[in-house]
Amino acid sequence: MALRASIGQYYSASSPLHRLDPRAKLAATVAFMASCFFVHTGAQLVLAAAAVLAAICAAHVPMGRLLSQIKPIALFLVVTSIVNLFFVQTGAVVAAWGPVSIHAGGVEAAVLYTARFFLLLLAGSLLMLTTTPTAITDAIERVFAPLERLGVLVGQASTILSIALRFVPTLSREAEHILAAQTARGADLENKGALAFARACVPLVVPLFSSALRHADNLGRAMDARCYMSGPARTHYHELKLDVRRDGPFIALVAVYLGVLAIL
Amino acid sequence: MPAAVAPRSNTSCIELSHVDFHYGDDGDAPALHDICLRIETGEHVCVLGGNGSGKSTLVQLMNALLVPCAGTATVFGLDTALPDAVAPIRQQAAMVFQHPEDQMTTSIVADDVAFGPENLGIPSKQIAQRVDDALATVEMAAFAQADPADLSGGQQQRVAIAGALAMHPRVLLLDEPGAMLDAAGRSMIQRTVAQLNRKGITIVHVTHFMDEALRATRAIILERGRIAFDGDPREAFAQPELITRLELELPPYLDIAVRLQEAGLAVAQTGDPHELARSIAGALRVGRGEREAIIDPSVARPRTAAALRTPAAGAAPAVRFDDVSFSYATARSPRKRARAPLFGRTRRAEAPTTFALEHASFTIAPGTTCAFIGRTGSGKSTAMELACALKVPVAGTVDVEGIDTADLERRRELRRRVGYVSQLPERQLFAETVYDDVAFGPRNLGCAPDETDRLVHEALRACGLEPTEALLARSPFALSGGQQRSVALAGVLAMKPQVVVLDEPMAGLDPIGRAGLARLLGRLKRAGVTLLLVSHSMDDVAALADRVIALDAGRVVADGAPRDIFLQDTPVLADLGAPAALVLTRLLADEGVNLDASLVPADLVEKVIRHGAAR
Repeated sequence: MALRASIGQYYSASSPLHRLDPRAKLAATVAFMASCFFVHTGAQLVLAAAAVLAAICAAHVPMGRLLSQIKPIALFLVVTSIVNLFFVQTGAVVAAWGPVSIHAGGVEAAVLYTARFFLLLLAGSLLMLTTTPTAITDAIERVFAPLERLGVLVGQASTILSIALRFVPTLSREAEHILAAQTARGADLENKGALAFARACVPLVVPLFSSALRHADNLGRAMDARCYMSGPARTHYHELKLDVRRDGPFIALVAVYLGVLAIL
Repeated sequence: MPAAVAPRSNTSCIELSHVDFHYGDDGDAPALHDICLRIETGEHVCVLGGNGSGKSTLVQLMNALLVPCAGTATVFGLDTALPDAVAPIRQQAAMVFQHPEDQMTTSIVADDVAFGPENLGIPSKQIAQRVDDALATVEMAAFAQADPADLSGGQQQRVAIAGALAMHPRVLLLDEPGAMLDAAGRSMIQRTVAQLNRKGITIVHVTHFMDEALRATRAIILERGRIAFDGDPREAFAQPELITRLELELPPYLDIAVRLQEAGLAVAQTGDPHELARSIAGALRVGRGEREAIIDPSVARPRTAAALRTPAAGAAPAVRFDDVSFSYATARSPRKRARAPLFGRTRRAEAPTTFALEHASFTIAPGTTCAFIGRTGSGKSTAMELACALKVPVAGTVDVEGIDTADLERRRELRRRVGYVSQLPERQLFAETVYDDVAFGPRNLGCAPDETDRLVHEALRACGLEPTEALLARSPFALSGGQQRSVALAGVLAMKPQVVVLDEPMAGLDPIGRAGLARLLGRLKRAGVTLLLVSHSMDDVAALADRVIALDAGRVVADGAPRDIFLQDTPVLADLGAPAALVLTRLLADEGVNLDASLVPADLVEKVIRHGAAR
C-alpha cells in the first residue's frame, strides 16, 4: 500500500530484544530517549550511538525496515539541521560568504541536535518493531496499574491504544479508496483557495468519518460478543514475569549506560 | 445428508418464545414480530431472507447482543434479559460477523484470538493452549504472528472464527461471514463450519448464498420480521413461488434441475451436481431402452470461439494497455507530470521491485464487457485503477478512448468518459441529499443546472430508483444498503461515461440486488457502454462477459472469450472455480453424456433437451 502508515508496525522475529520483558524494554527506551536530551559532548554522542548500535545488532531487524520507519521524519531532521547551521551565531566563524556565515556553535548544533534526535527516533522505532502492540499495551497497563486506585481506567486506555494501532492501516487504506472514488467523479483538491479547499474536502472527510463510525460500531458489537466487559477478572495471554537471566543483563547494561553518560 | 436426528428431549440450546423486537421508537415497524423457535443441540441451521427481513437481528437476539422488547429468549436455559446471564450466554453462543476487519482487536493474529479467553478470565497457560488449538482448527496456525491487515478477507474471517472458538462455545452464530469473501475464501469457511458441526457445535448461519443454505439441515426463512418457513432447506427450494416471494433464488444446480423439469425432462430435484448429472444421464436413457453412449468427437472437445462477436476491425479501442507495469514502491502521483528521473536513473532500471501489474498488454474494443478474474492480490484492482487514471503506469501506457491516462491536459475529458465504481461504492456517499450526491460528478464536470438535473433523474431511473421529490431530498445515509448501492452507482452513471469500470460490483448484495445489478449491466451493455469488471463469481462472469482476462501475480495469464478461458486447464482457474453449467457439462461427460460445453444454465438446458430429442 502506498499510503500504508508504518506506525506501530511489528517485525516478527526471535531475537534477544524481541524476547525481553516489554516492561523492561519500555522503561529502558523511555530512559534512553530522555537521556538523549542530556547528550552534549562528542564522547556522550559516541556512547549513545554505541548503545543504539548494540540494540540494533541484538534486534535482528533488517536495516531497510528500520530506516523506512524513520524516513518520514528524516526530511524534518535535515531542515532543522540546516536551520541550526545558519542561525546559531555563537562561537568562532567557520566559514563566511558575504552576509552569510557559519559559526562553530551552528555546526555543533546541526550535528549534535540532529544526531541525538536521530538516535532517539531509532530507539523508539526499535521498540515498536520488536514489541507486539499487545505487549506494549500490556506493559503500559502493568506499569500504570497503581493509577487504577486513583480512578484512572488504565486497562481500558491500553485496550483503546491497541485498537487504535490496529486500525491505522485499515483507515489509511480506506482513505485511499475514497480518494480514488471521488477523484474518478471529478473531485479536485488542487489550485484552490483555503475555503474552496475546505469545501472540496467534504466528499472525502464525510465518508471517512462515517466509515470510522461504522468500524467503531461493528467493532464494539464484536467486542461485546466476545465478552469484553472490562471487569476486574480479565486475564492476560502473555504473562509478564521478569526473568533474571533474560532481563537482568539488559537492565544492568542500561544502568551502566546511564551511569557512564552522567560521568562523561 | 439426513436431517439432524438429535433427540428432541431437553437438548434445546436456543429458545425464542413470542419475541418482538424493534429498533428506535415504538411507532417504527418491528424488525421482528412474534418469533417462536427452538434450536436443538447439534443442528446446522441457516437463516435466509431478503435485505431488511430481520436476519441479523434474529441472531443477535441469540447471544444477548439484543434483548427482546416482548417475549423471552433463552440460551441454554439462561434468559438473555438477565444481566448476570450475559457473559455465560456469550461464551456459549459465540458470534462471527460479516466484516472480518472489524472484528480484529489487535495487530497480531494470536493476540486477537486470545481476546475472548482473556475477557473470560482464563489463566494464561490455558489461553495459550486454546489459541493454538483454535488456530489449528481453522488451519491458520502458520499465521499466528502475522498482522491481520496483511491477510486476505477469507483468512481474516477464519481468524475471527478461531477467536470465537477460543471461548469454547457450544453454539456458533455466523452473521453472513462469507458476504465479503471470494469463492475460495467462502469454500474454506464452509469447510470449517461443516467440520465444527460434525464435532458437535451447533451452527446458526445467516447467509445470502443458497448453496451454503443447502448444506444446512434446517432453514429458517424470514419475511419482513416474521418466520415464513422453517424446515428442510430442500423442501423450501422445492417451492419456486415461495422462493420468489421471499426474495431468494434457487441454488445454482437446483436451478438447472428445475429448468430441466420445466423443459419436460424427469430429473431429480437436487442441488448436488454429481447426483444431478447421474439423474440427467438416467433420464436421457429412459425410454430409449439403450445404454450405448453416442460420442460425437466434435462436441467432446471445446469448439473454437468462432461464434464470438469480434469487434469491427479498425475501430479505435476503448481501453488499451500497452506493456503496462505498476509497482506501489515506485509509483508517482497520477496528478504530477512525469519528470526526467533524477540522477539519470530510469524507472525501468529499478529492477528488484515487486510489481502489482507487470508487462500487461491488451486492447478492449468499444461495447465489450470484459471481466477480470484472479486470486486475491493478483493485480485486478490495480488494473482497474490504472484504467481510470487513478494510478498511472510506472512503465508502458494506458489509453482510454484514445486519451493517454498520463496526459494531464486531457484528464478532465478522460474523467467524463470513464466511470469508476469502487468496491462497496456506497461507502463513498457523502452529501446531505441523494440529489446532491448524484449531482456531484456532473457538477464537477461543469454541467449547467438544468443538464445536471436531467442527468440526475436519468441516472437514478437507470439504477432502478424512481427519482421522486421525497427520494431526492432524503439523506443517502437513511436509505437501505441496497438503495445506497444504487445511489452510488447513479452517481457514477450521471457522468454519462462511455467506459464503466466496476470493482466487484456484486459483493455483499442479496439475490434481489444481484439480479437488479445484472439487469443494469445488461442495459448499459446494450447501450454500447464498454464495461470492465472484476468479479469473483464465475457464474456472473459467464453470464455477463464476452471477454475474460485472467491475472496471476500481476501478469496476464489468459485472455480470450469466456468459453476459451473456462475450457482451458489453467492452474489459476482451478482455484477460482468454474460456472455451474460447465461443471455439470463435465460431470455429464463422466456419465457418458457428451455435450458441447455450456457456460450458462439456459444454454445447458437447451443442449440437454436437444441431446435427448436427437436420440
